[in-house]
Amino acid sequence: MPLIKDNAFVEDTFARVADDAALPEGAIIVSLKRFQAERDVLVPRNTPLGVRLSSDQSPEALGADVHHFALIELEFPKFKDGRGYSWARLLRQRLGYKGEVRATGDVLRDQWLFMSRVGIDSFEVRAGTRIEDFRAAMAEQTFFYQPASDGVRSVLDLRHSRPAPFALAAAQ
Amino acid sequence: MAQVLTANRLSDGEVVYLAADGAWVESFDAAKILATPADGEAALAVGQEAERNQQLVHAYLFDITPAKKPVKMREIIRAAGPTVRRDLGKQAAF
Amino acid sequence: MYRYDEFDQKLVDERVAQFRGQVARRLSGELTEEEFKPLRLMNGLYLQLHAYMLRVAIPYGTLSSRQLKMLAHIARKYDKGYAHFTTRQNLQYNWPKLGDVPDILADLASVEMHAIQTSGNCIRNVTSDHFAGAAADEVDDPRVWSEIIRQWSTFHPEFSYLPRKFKIAVTAAPKDRAAIKVHDIGIVIRRDASAKLAFDVYVGGGQGRTPLVGHLIGEGIEAGDLLAYLEATMRVYNQYGRRDNLYKARIKILVHQIGANEMRCQVAAEFAEIKQHGALTLPQAEIDRINAYFLDPAFEKLPDEDLTAQRKNKAFAAWVETNVAKHKVPGYAIVTISLKPIGGIPGDASADQMDLVASLAERLSFDEIRVSHEQNLVLAHVRQRDLFELWQTLDKAGLGTANHALITDIIACPGLDYCDLANARSINIAQALSKRFADLDRQRNIGELKLKISGCINACGHHHVGHIGILGVDKKGVEYYQITLGGSGAEDASVGEILGPAFGEADVPDAIEKLVDTYLAARQPGERFLDTYRRVGIQPFREKLYAAH
Repeated sequence: MPLIKDNAFVEDTFARVADDAALPEGAIIVSLKRFQAERDVLVPRNTPLGVRLSSDQSPEALGADVHHFALIELEFPKFKDGRGYSWARLLRQRLGYKGEVRATGDVLRDQWLFMSRVGIDSFEVRAGTRIEDFRAAMAEQTFFYQPASDGVRSVLDLRHSRPAPFALAAAQ
Repeated sequence: MAQVLTANRLSDGEVVYLAADGAWVESFDAAKILATPADGEAALAVGQEAERNQQLVHAYLFDITPAKKPVKMREIIRAAGPTVRRDLGKQAAF
Repeated sequence: MYRYDEFDQKLVDERVAQFRGQVARRLSGELTEEEFKPLRLMNGLYLQLHAYMLRVAIPYGTLSSRQLKMLAHIARKYDKGYAHFTTRQNLQYNWPKLGDVPDILADLASVEMHAIQTSGNCIRNVTSDHFAGAAADEVDDPRVWSEIIRQWSTFHPEFSYLPRKFKIAVTAAPKDRAAIKVHDIGIVIRRDASAKLAFDVYVGGGQGRTPLVGHLIGEGIEAGDLLAYLEATMRVYNQYGRRDNLYKARIKILVHQIGANEMRCQVAAEFAEIKQHGALTLPQAEIDRINAYFLDPAFEKLPDEDLTAQRKNKAFAAWVETNVAKHKVPGYAIVTISLKPIGGIPGDASADQMDLVASLAERLSFDEIRVSHEQNLVLAHVRQRDLFELWQTLDKAGLGTANHALITDIIACPGLDYCDLANARSINIAQALSKRFADLDRQRNIGELKLKISGCINACGHHHVGHIGILGVDKKGVEYYQITLGGSGAEDASVGEILGPAFGEADVPDAIEKLVDTYLAARQPGERFLDTYRRVGIQPFREKLYAAH
């Protein structure tokens, strides 16, 4: 499926590896279960490592290992299942994860903006999606009432000239 | 039990029925009576096609009595309009 | 009242444009109905039995005259000349066309209104005390806090695809007029020992299939931390609320399953983390900014009025007694405009009536109207000396019914006459009961009696918390009505108990009459129906009602 990052289509350099498949060379994505079982083999590999979390798996299960990952994939089995939005915020805020967070599964155009707000920065999209649609969807809202995980200044901050939360964190 | 195929029109939500000539009509009295399960299934396929081409929302079959009236209160009300506002809905036109 | 600044306006305007695009994509086939449904629902657009239904948010039930006039205008231009006020202080149009809805939203945006999050599995319209800012017993204006919560919850990116819908109510008075204990979150604002505002947060109340009274989860939360505490509660729910069963997905089920204590611990842990991050702390400047919109209007210094002369008009005297409440400022009064004329449709108002109330508010109540969760309108700041004139004008327009909180002030959902989810009609039952108890002297003798009717188990008609509740059910295609007794949505919240087998439509008025007679025979001086019920229990009512059957 096509992949969008930084407002453009990009090539997916990661290979998804099934739990019972041999580990190929290069960047791979494994399930949380496989990661937990084979942590000591996976972490020392010198290639980018990704983990796939299903919608009922909290990233807090990764603990300090979170920083070993170049990519964390959040699955949205149905567009109505909104747990991934909280997982993304935990990753960005609680666990301080700086790598790529990718949304996969049943994701609607009208959800990309909210996903980006909670810290998801790459999107698997349906075949046939046009990049103009993505850009238009991301530009549908100029102001945001609440601080989230995208570093954007909230209306609260703009009204009272407070710096954005991320800037705050950086200054500390 | 005989049935009738109904749906709501996408553009305005109006209750419509499948008529004998394949048209979607607003009046229950003009609806095609689907006497057999096979008739019902064929009609449902027509309804689903009309859903796919953006004419209708949620096509479904409902039962009618031998006197050709809807069995359920829900369908009686859909065919006429609110019972508490006789001036509104399809019944208002009569 | 609150006015939009450039940010608020831009958000709402962009939402109109966005929805216009979504409707176009739906009509062109780019979106299937399954994909469009959650989008339209988040803009309050349903598909009901006869047509689409648009639910417009009236945040915490406060409207300006200009806004109410726009609502009337929309009813005339795009609908059938009327609208329905709901138990969530919202307004519903029953006949809009899909293609017109973007234009309706644009008209609403022009008067700082919207339909955002009036449906869908997100945080819904925040409701509050309809006497806010006028009641003598409040410690602060709850609308300030409701507005703060409204803004925080609007397009919240993390909480727009919750397991299920989420309703928040706020009150700042010991007398609970906002039914906060039967909300997903209910907030009671009080003053602590040092006179500082403190927020008690009740979680896990609700009606529907499993009616439960909320638990006190957060006690004495500080003003600056309110949003952080709410965010913590929402996050626990979003992570752990059930998603496998629609009927068990509300937060009340989560609280019920893990227990109030565990919920308290989980929210506290999340709250501590969020606080540490700091970004959600409410700046005092924002509290002050919003507070400024809710300052008292320019009340005149007036004495309390002696209405003895006018009270010689018996109908006026009755209306004053039931529909006029004490105001915090001498010389003023709070007026409830009943939308429950005898035999009428609870909560419905014609465009002309809306225009009239808007004009009256402009002239006599500082340009402000409230919508109560009991489906009435309120003019919160009327000079007592204007009461007689106001009543005369209202009465001529069918808005002067003197029945507030009496047995004919019935709450009823739209039921099967309109609603796609309903199993039975409810308006017809309300009308029959209203006619049966039409006699005003009889109503006043019965006293306060909250009669609430729902047409299905979703309980939009709040039947679980009616002193007498009626629930419409479908038994093999026939409408039947189940009666509950002893519910309350007030500060003494309780869930009603089922009386016994359900009654057919025609038998409901007799059944209710027997219950009322049982109460009248058993009551002690000063007791309301609810008080008597709580003292004697359900048995005497059961015996009386089913003895002959």
